[in-house]
Amino acid sequence: MSRRPGLSPALGFGLLAVAGVAVPVLTRDSYYLDVATAMLMNLVLTLSLRFEMSTGQLNMAHISFMGIGAYASALLVTRAGWSFWASLVAAPLVAALVAVPVGRIALRVSGPYYFLITFAFLEVLRLFFNNSFVDYLGGPSGLVEIPRPHPLPLSGGAIAFTGKLPQYWLMYALFLVAAAVLIRLEYSRFGLVASAIRQRDLLAETLGVDVIRYKLGVFVLGSFFAGVAGVFFAHSHQVLHSSDFGLEPMVLLVVFTVIGGAQSVWGPVVGTLVLSVTSELLRELHHYEILVYGAVLMVVMLVFPEGLVSLPGRITRALDRRRGSKARAVGARVAP
Amino acid sequence: MLLELRDVSKRFGGLQAVTGLSMTVAPRTIHGLIGPNGAGKSTVFNLLTGVLPLSSGEIVFKGARVSGLRPSEICRRGIARTFQATTLFRESTVLDNVLIASHLHAAMAFVPTLIGTAAYRDRERSVCTGAQGLLASLGLADVADQRAGSLPHRDQKALCLAMVLATAAELVILDEPLAGLTAQESADTMAVLRALRAEGKTILLVEHDMRAVMGLCDVITVLDHGVRIAEGTPRDIQANPAVIEAYLGAEESRA
Repeated sequence: MSRRPGLSPALGFGLLAVAGVAVPVLTRDSYYLDVATAMLMNLVLTLSLRFEMSTGQLNMAHISFMGIGAYASALLVTRAGWSFWASLVAAPLVAALVAVPVGRIALRVSGPYYFLITFAFLEVLRLFFNNSFVDYLGGPSGLVEIPRPHPLPLSGGAIAFTGKLPQYWLMYALFLVAAAVLIRLEYSRFGLVASAIRQRDLLAETLGVDVIRYKLGVFVLGSFFAGVAGVFFAHSHQVLHSSDFGLEPMVLLVVFTVIGGAQSVWGPVVGTLVLSVTSELLRELHHYEILVYGAVLMVVMLVFPEGLVSLPGRITRALDRRRGSKARAVGARVAP
Repeated sequence: MLLELRDVSKRFGGLQAVTGLSMTVAPRTIHGLIGPNGAGKSTVFNLLTGVLPLSSGEIVFKGARVSGLRPSEICRRGIARTFQATTLFRESTVLDNVLIASHLHAAMAFVPTLIGTAAYRDRERSVCTGAQGLLASLGLADVADQRAGSLPHRDQKALCLAMVLATAAELVILDEPLAGLTAQESADTMAVLRALRAEGKTILLVEHDMRAVMGLCDVITVLDHGVRIAEGTPRDIQANPAVIEAYLGAEESRA
């Protein structure tokens, strides 16, 4: 694969991994651990949403697949008596399985139509969680009394997941797996083909890329990781409500991803980190938070549409222009 | 025959773009498809590559029916094309453009990609070497790391050709490969096309530069208003009264 500008994948992943270890080393305060845990969960969601956006499709139902993972896991553990650890694999698979027919229908169209179809699915599923099978899904009052992750038996002893710290480590482990897979794919042939589809899907198709099948694969894998985040959410919050998987949290995911920069795999990382911290600082504003996000989104789209992640490159280029305007004039093959 | 069109028709609503077209393309030839504007040449290319569905008739490639297949499957069977306007992945580098086009010969299995197995890396490395060789043969080695959209027109044309060749298709379909090139650049491209024929490729092309078409093609098919009006060697075509009439226009024959 040809060299691409920006952060090397191994270095970037290493930095994330170290930063994740650093948090509990620096603080055991339960508030900070809560914030950091939520951040890691949101990172799994935004990284997988960006993965789907890399083929040029904005899936507005991404959070619904998180919901499917969450409700499926809650039911598997409370009703079917499954172990949390079996459910951690099975419930995301349920989300991925549901994604197959949904993707087959939605991916027949693209652009605004795809946006609308997935948006409709988001609403339908939210209403389903809210109104259907009330005995099982809890209805408008929510699904309650979901147990914490079961203790993990490990050579002799067992790790309990009652405290904040073990839950943080669990989310950290899930995040590492998701990030490793999604970053690896981005820098492989998958990422290359995804970018080709985003730029010109017809050309990709005539060069032998089965565009629909490829998009479906991306959709299913993205939904799987949304399901993983959902399982963690269900068992750490212990309460599920249909509005957890509605339009507002979905819009936040899109804002995180787009402000960071959807073109780059690092965009959602930057966006999620920056905005999660900002959101904690803006806690006082509460109801106005979404307003602030809206304003920030507009400014970012106007000033640097490729997101915060494009800032270093822009600054470097601007400096180069100031410094090297004379030296550059003799360069061969200067682009028009 | 490598390629055979049997009674192919295409209608767009009330417009009959191609009517009952039958033609064959022999292997290892350069076959020209010419005709006045609106004759249906580009439509024929879109039908051949599955970009548009046929209204009736069938297309047979290497003895198997390909009409009705998806474009990606047709490419897999060995037909690849360029588009009339230089169509590239403009934001990607020149090398990445060719690597994308090498898709069919590259490792795409999910698990080996994740783990980065030795077999996977060997395959990727050989695809990359092949792509670089292809770029070198078309004079694009120096610009391999540039963004495709920033290339001058000549290089963009050459890159389109490189991408089609990267698919390793036996039948290469070129929509106006010489458009916008200088005389020297045209001559260079024609030399490349002749070399490809010598290597065993079959080329089907649409081109408006008549001098080039007559000099380059082994066989020419002439379309007018979606109907085949002549087929033969360049010498036959130049002498054919129907062709002359279609190009120069005879007032009394056209309503």
